[in-house]
Amino acid sequence: MTATALEPIELLAEGKAKYHPVDPDGFREWVREHKTRAMVSKLMTEKEAVAKFVSDGDYLTYECNYISRGPNSVLNEIIRQRKKNLWLAGKFTYVDVGLLVGAGCASKVDTGFFLCTPGVKKAIADGQLEAFEYSNVIMSMRLEAGAQGIPFIPVRSFGGTDGFDYSGAKLIRDPYTGQPTVIIPALNPDVAIIHVQQADKFGNARVFGTGISDVPAALASRKVIISAEEIIDTEVIRSNPGLTKIPYWCVDAVIDAPFGGYPGTVPGYYSSDVPGIMECMGAVMRGDIGAYLEKWIYGFSSHNEMLEKNVGLTRLLDMQKREVIKEGFRG
Amino acid sequence: MTRAEAFSEREVAMCTVARMVEGGKTYWAAGGGTPLYSVLLGQKLYAHDAQYVTEDGVIAPMPLLPFEPMLVMVASRAIHGALSWGNMNTAGYYAQLGYMDYGVLNTLQVDKHGNINSTFLGEYPDGGRRMHGPGGADTIAACCWRTILITDQEKRKFVEKVDFISSPGYLDGSEGARERAGLPRGTGPWRVVTPWAMYDYENRRLRLMARVPWVTVDEILAECDYKPLVAPEVQVLEPPTEEELNLLRTELDVRGQTTDAAGGWIIWDGEKYVRGTA
Repeated sequence: MTATALEPIELLAEGKAKYHPVDPDGFREWVREHKTRAMVSKLMTEKEAVAKFVSDGDYLTYECNYISRGPNSVLNEIIRQRKKNLWLAGKFTYVDVGLLVGAGCASKVDTGFFLCTPGVKKAIADGQLEAFEYSNVIMSMRLEAGAQGIPFIPVRSFGGTDGFDYSGAKLIRDPYTGQPTVIIPALNPDVAIIHVQQADKFGNARVFGTGISDVPAALASRKVIISAEEIIDTEVIRSNPGLTKIPYWCVDAVIDAPFGGYPGTVPGYYSSDVPGIMECMGAVMRGDIGAYLEKWIYGFSSHNEMLEKNVGLTRLLDMQKREVIKEGFRG
Repeated sequence: MTRAEAFSEREVAMCTVARMVEGGKTYWAAGGGTPLYSVLLGQKLYAHDAQYVTEDGVIAPMPLLPFEPMLVMVASRAIHGALSWGNMNTAGYYAQLGYMDYGVLNTLQVDKHGNINSTFLGEYPDGGRRMHGPGGADTIAACCWRTILITDQEKRKFVEKVDFISSPGYLDGSEGARERAGLPRGTGPWRVVTPWAMYDYENRRLRLMARVPWVTVDEILAECDYKPLVAPEVQVLEPPTEEELNLLRTELDVRGQTTDAAGGWIIWDGEKYVRGTA
């Protein structure tokens, strides 16, 4: 038998930006070492979870955003604990990037969509924030690859854009079709923060309604913090396993967080607090968020204390009342 | 069909797009604002079995209107009565698989080959102004069979070459450019709609094909930094009707966040529509 030389896969173009390192075997080893398969309670406070599982320099993904089912109590705790040099997955988001950058927590952002506030622009101009270009779906597909334990994923979009040049994407000649095909690097964040409607103390989580990339983010991330509107019994989980979206073994912390999405909506539970949202939008769009952070975050030791003193029962009940559709959002 | 007394420029663009909505077809409506309202208006008045998805992967919702402020995705009223709840990746898969007939999106800048900029005005990365990024528009523009773009008729929005291609049009305009960049074949920009005009493409170059009755071709071209091709016969678009406007104002954009009078009002003076100064 004669050995024939194999053609190398042809690389046609590549983006020149740095990207979070791709290391599927390293991720597997992390899972072997750090993800307990035992059914142990992971209930803790947001303060404990952030102290234990969010480190300076981590790559952070948060699911949905500050306005809709965002993990806001945890995000605010990250700001409260003054974490530094985070690398953000800035997809499908309005104010979140502006808040984290304005609070001095982030030094890199992968772009999908976010309100590009004066604070963000200034941080980029001053060299304190590096921005890399993707799009919302490209970011969620990167998480999908991360969730599959594979190093990259081919996609049918993103080619030909200028974002491609400032990303970690590559254009190859696909060895199966012979067609130019874009591949993008898997994303395995250091930490994911996800707010859900229901979870048990082990981390089995139910997500109702649409979402962005809750499940891929949970599977793809080294450390996963779940906050839940309701902590439910595992018997309830077992009574309808089809509703479990995130299995317990990927979860490191579970936080009992009623109104954890304030001031945003959590579908089926409460609508958004419109004045609360607008106050936040106004602050980040003006670019002077110091007073906002003081009033809503630094001035309290916890999200619950803030809700009690700044928002109050009347406003919270009104948010519940305005959420008229409940059907389909509970087990 | 009742003649409308007065309407805003943005309302004109939305009503124009609404009439393009076809029954039995699928639409991926970008974000909130004009694309989603245009598709809903078309679905309610002209094409009841047109279906839409948004970026959060919802299929064919029957939203409980009006939306809460800013809550057009991942919100109970917006995704009410849907056939399926998905996520951003499922939306992406539907588009990659060819299930999305039309993508509808808006933009800040478009060029002669239909490329879209929502990332940066000026010279990237330091010489200008950063914007919010492509969001879901990149996937919509790449993978839907036909893309309808909504924008304002302003000189700075129609340029020879966008400062930054956030979402792909026909790229450099050469035949096969999209396929060479890895995009699915047979896709691309189809129409651009503004409050004054509608454009199509001839050999992948932007072409003025229709105008509203109250502006001339010359006035439109004066509001294009890049001068598009002009069709041999420029059609005249029908003005919005009272039925369209009433639905838009009372059920869809009830707060006027999208349909406000940006660009001014158009008023019936008894004989013809004129641009008002109100």
